[in-house]
Amino acid sequence: MTDDLVARIREALRVVIDPELGHNVVDLGFLYRITVDQGDVRIVMTATTKGCPAAAFLREGVAASTAQVEGVRSVDVEMTFDPPWTPSCIEPAVRSSLGFANVN
Amino acid sequence: MIGGTLSKWTMSYFAIAITWLIAAEALMAAGFGFPAADVAAADTLVIVHMVCIGWLSMAMCGALFQFVPVLVGKPLFDERWELPALVLLTAGLTALLAGFLVLGGRLPAGLWLLPLAATLLAAGFALVVADLGLTVWRARPPVGPAHFVLAGLVSLCATVALGTGFAWSLSGHGGEELGKVLATGVPLHAIAGLGGWLTLTAMGVSYRLLSMFMLAPDVDGKKSRLTLAAGSAAIGVAVAGGLFAIEAEAGLGIVLAAAAAFGLATFALYGRDVAALYRNRKRRQLELNTKMAAYGFASLAAAALLGIALVATGSFAAHVGAFAFLVAFGWLSGLVLAKLYKIVAFLTWLETYGPAMGRLPTPRVQDLVAEGRASKWFAVYFVSVWGGTASLLFGQASVFRGAAAVMTLATAGIVQELIRTRRLADVAEPLRLPNGTQPPCLLYSRT
Repeated sequence: MTDDLVARIREALRVVIDPELGHNVVDLGFLYRITVDQGDVRIVMTATTKGCPAAAFLREGVAASTAQVEGVRSVDVEMTFDPPWTPSCIEPAVRSSLGFANVN
Repeated sequence: MIGGTLSKWTMSYFAIAITWLIAAEALMAAGFGFPAADVAAADTLVIVHMVCIGWLSMAMCGALFQFVPVLVGKPLFDERWELPALVLLTAGLTALLAGFLVLGGRLPAGLWLLPLAATLLAAGFALVVADLGLTVWRARPPVGPAHFVLAGLVSLCATVALGTGFAWSLSGHGGEELGKVLATGVPLHAIAGLGGWLTLTAMGVSYRLLSMFMLAPDVDGKKSRLTLAAGSAAIGVAVAGGLFAIEAEAGLGIVLAAAAAFGLATFALYGRDVAALYRNRKRRQLELNTKMAAYGFASLAAAALLGIALVATGSFAAHVGAFAFLVAFGWLSGLVLAKLYKIVAFLTWLETYGPAMGRLPTPRVQDLVAEGRASKWFAVYFVSVWGGTASLLFGQASVFRGAAAVMTLATAGIVQELIRTRRLADVAEPLRLPNGTQPPCLLYSRT
């Protein structure tokens, strides 16, 4: 049941894109952890750059999108930059299409 | 504050800045000021201050109100000071230009306009410095690029103090001491303004913007501190040493030579830092803004080499106009125009689509721009700036006017692209304005 809800949340979060990279936060590997306790959802996520003005909107977007998923009672989203995001977090199929260097 | 907030009046600063730029370029194309007039003539002062205060300083202030909070991770000290500062700066610059026209005999007597202008400008810049300085103070100790902004703000204070002294002196109320400074100290005012306030601040902001938009690791703190130390030494030696030399009636030669040596070291260290940012970027494909910024950096390198060549051949004084033109239009204006192209799109995206994130499908920032079309205008701009510099070096005034006319056209083309971005004109349906989103206003941001 919990795994199913996490899967549905991840699917719902595909509507939230990083405006710079143009891909969704799931494929970009921004979601570090999603935990569910009886409908109370806690998400730990990141963004590409600390201090980026888009980070607050990303966090709010993730919260808004998660709240719309059936079975979610409350949402708490924490933005962290530890560990920092790197392109290695991106789904491999998406990484090359974004023009990232393999060495990174 | 992990994310940032939008500055309401940044777009207004940009709009007014661009208006002054186009007006200055059109006047140069019409043959107003240097090279038709002397480099120190009143008409030239009109152009110089339209560019340095109206265009570059206004654009820089607008960008800093948005990005200093991002640099330090704290909100702006007081957003309510942005608009009064804009009004004071605009009124002060208008009075200053009128005062110069009086000085040149183009307007009837009214030299009192100069101290009035200086007072208005000092009040406007004081609001800017206080708001930004207190924002950085909130996040003490400052880190990374914030140090460059602080050094830039200190230089701005020195520039305004010297300019205010000159204004009182030119109006006949300065006394003997200010008269002495005015007689030989104009280079100190120019170095503090172009070199300290505009260049050091542009360097600091560029570190952050380049790493943010190219996903490059931040420049090593030790390296950027060394760059800043060299830059601060150049400005400090020029201004403090210069004033001391004037007081001692010793001549400025040695002081300016020492400042130039520190300045060259600064450019070399900054070049090393920027090269590392480009080399270590994680996004391999460069966007137009980072490609065009590179032409700005190339112009800075060219200006440094030109300066060395002119000094070596003993012709710096004869060609100081060409040197200053390349610094102002190739380096500073080139970089600012390139970054405006990105910042306007980025802020427009945040304003329009940020609140809809998670609720509706949204376009990318790149969907707000048409780089292929804009790149032609940027290419024309840089070629005309370099052509204009060459025409000044070779004393071809009519060719320079042609180059200035082409610069005006290219700038207008870039501005048209910025307006299209602001109006979401290049965003394809159905993503352009989904239900629940509002189109942005052209001249300010809804926050």
